[in-house]
Amino acid sequence: MEHIPFNFPFLAAALLVGISLYIIIFKKNLIKLIMGVAMLASGVNLFLVALGYRAGGASPIYTNVLERPMVLPVPQALTLTSIVINVAVLALMLTIVIRIYRHTGSLDSEKSRKMKG
Amino acid sequence: MPSLITHSPILIIAIPLAAAFLTLPIGMASRKARNALVIVSLAFVVFLVFALARDISINGIHVYTLGATSPDLTIPKGFMVPVRIILEVDSMSVLMGIIWSIVALAAAIFSLSHIANETGQNRFYTLLLLMVAGGFGIMFTGDLFNLFVFLEITSISGAALIAFRTRFADAQEGGFKYIVVSAIASLMVLFAIGLLYAQYNLLNIGALAQVIQYTTLDKIALALLVIAFTIKAGMVPLHLWLPDAYSVAPASITGMLLITSHACMYAAFRVCFTLYGGMLNTPVVGWIIIIFGLLSMFVGVTMALIQKDVMRFMSYHAISQLGYMWVGVGVGLAVLGNAGLVDSYGKAAMSGGIFHILNDAMYMPLLFFIGGALFHCTGTRDFTQMGGLAHKLKWTTILFIIGSLCISGIPPFNGFSSKILIYESVYQFHPILTIAGIIVSILILASFIKVFHSAFMGAELSEYKAVKEVPRSMIIAMVILAAGIVFITLFPSLIVNWTIHPASDALINQGGYINAVTGAIP
Amino acid sequence: MTFILESGYAFWNPIILIIVFIVTMVIVYFFRRRGQENYKKDTDQAQIFLCGEEVPEAEQRHVRAGNIYWGFFETLKEYYNQILRPHTGIINDYVLWFIAVTAIIAIILLIAGLGT
Repeated sequence: MEHIPFNFPFLAAALLVGISLYIIIFKKNLIKLIMGVAMLASGVNLFLVALGYRAGGASPIYTNVLERPMVLPVPQALTLTSIVINVAVLALMLTIVIRIYRHTGSLDSEKSRKMKG
Repeated sequence: MPSLITHSPILIIAIPLAAAFLTLPIGMASRKARNALVIVSLAFVVFLVFALARDISINGIHVYTLGATSPDLTIPKGFMVPVRIILEVDSMSVLMGIIWSIVALAAAIFSLSHIANETGQNRFYTLLLLMVAGGFGIMFTGDLFNLFVFLEITSISGAALIAFRTRFADAQEGGFKYIVVSAIASLMVLFAIGLLYAQYNLLNIGALAQVIQYTTLDKIALALLVIAFTIKAGMVPLHLWLPDAYSVAPASITGMLLITSHACMYAAFRVCFTLYGGMLNTPVVGWIIIIFGLLSMFVGVTMALIQKDVMRFMSYHAISQLGYMWVGVGVGLAVLGNAGLVDSYGKAAMSGGIFHILNDAMYMPLLFFIGGALFHCTGTRDFTQMGGLAHKLKWTTILFIIGSLCISGIPPFNGFSSKILIYESVYQFHPILTIAGIIVSILILASFIKVFHSAFMGAELSEYKAVKEVPRSMIIAMVILAAGIVFITLFPSLIVNWTIHPASDALINQGGYINAVTGAIP
Repeated sequence: MTFILESGYAFWNPIILIIVFIVTMVIVYFFRRRGQENYKKDTDQAQIFLCGEEVPEAEQRHVRAGNIYWGFFETLKEYYNQILRPHTGIINDYVLWFIAVTAIIAIILLIAGLGT
């Protein structure tokens, strides 16, 4: 693990967030937009777990404890909560897109809109 | 009774939550029992919020630790920072709580007739009670991550309620836009919470406020937090989703969504005033908020003038009224570093902005409910096709006149009281803000006269001969809000002294907030 | 406890305004009662006169909302064309605005902090 630079998880999180913002802004298909939001959530979750890492750290469990510093447990709890919330959000988004498709017959964000101005 | 008051913050969040889960089985058994459960639980929550408000005005900030042996044990023995989720209710939070409980009760009563012909009503009331619980969580929490969780609860139930009437295609589109916007805003909040936790190892707002310095990462976190709450509140130029979502929802839900955006605005103020406090660059952040407010006031009303859909028209006016609040509190933030200016006009500007939150929460849901009543009666939201409805809908016309006079700031109504507080104090800061505010008020009056003439005045049209007055529960809900308007109209100084001045003092007094959580500094 | 709202610069008491309004309305009512006696309602005197043209039915006379304030909208047509351009209704453009404004505000905060 020593030859991976310390910043690599943060770079990966930034890359995930950047690609997901590109998808949300420039892709017109509603399903791709939902995938973009899912990827954004993954990027933020990765950022949360990565910020708790301590070099050479052990899991934050008090059974058979090793003589090493532990990684921070609180961001892992925040990430679990965030994963559960994002599952609910994605399920709701997919349900509404199914309804939009049944009403308008199109999955394009420009062709399926009825309201403007 | 004393223990009821001590445990009231968590009871106010838990009672709607429990009622939400009980609504489904009880609703399957009997419709009347479910309606009674919803109304009784919301009425009890109104009573609890008023009792809590009285307790806070006597005893100061009310802190509640979840899961500790005693509710105010924020820092247990051997710890140096507060642990566990802490609910911290000060005067500003409980003012938002009063608004939310009254509007939620009115919305539930309105829904009794408005969705009476829809299927799946049990799920509607479950989602409504979940949204109420989520809103109280945003207003009462003292912990950043708890704020994120309740923000998501409110957004998810709100989006499901917008898209509730699945036979309308535009409702689905509005619900989709709302949930995408909310998901992105909440992920921005989570990112900022991660940035703050990485530096300080703390999630509690009071404890963070003690140790925060204004480093580069803190500036990025501030930008993310303020912009995320601005997106959810609906300020220009981030308001584009708001008319789409608010115009297609059932009218009672639109009233509640409006107070949700007020709650997100409250969260932005909590971040600026209490979390960062004097550490941030107050002139710059204050001016950013003032510019958002000015743009919202102006773009909101000019876009409202060209609308043809009555609910879309009201939602653009909601954006414009939010601008007034932001200008008032933004001026207070801009002069926060300078104690002399705070006393001379900063506190008055903040009081004006916060008083406008209270007033807007009384007349804006009333106007949304009237839009819903018009939709219920005529079957269309397009007011260019309506006409002569004042002949049949007498109560609705009177309430519409009251609502439109309030929103335009015509004396003696409550809109004028808060607007004059804002105008008089903001003028000292920069005269252009007052001038813009007065021009916008004139345009608001013009737009409401247009709608009033087109929809209510004129001869009775042949296609609306069968229209009857709206059902009684809708009138009761609108009269609850109108009673609030009349009370605030007649006694503005009482309301300001009881609730508004303590609220603006609580926002400015960062030290009191920190002391309530960390215990008095020996 | 006074019933006056004070902002430090303004004096506002709604009760006084309502009392003044009621007194004025009473005075106006007494002026009206001494009005003209040769006005007969519901006769030809009260009909609409359109220079001898046919007066349409009340239903067709009703001016709809789309036509009110035409002059205002004609004058501000350029402003409205500009302000309607961002309001497209496409969700992708909304998110573009969010990200752009976040980036601008973050840059402003960073630059404003450089001076101190």
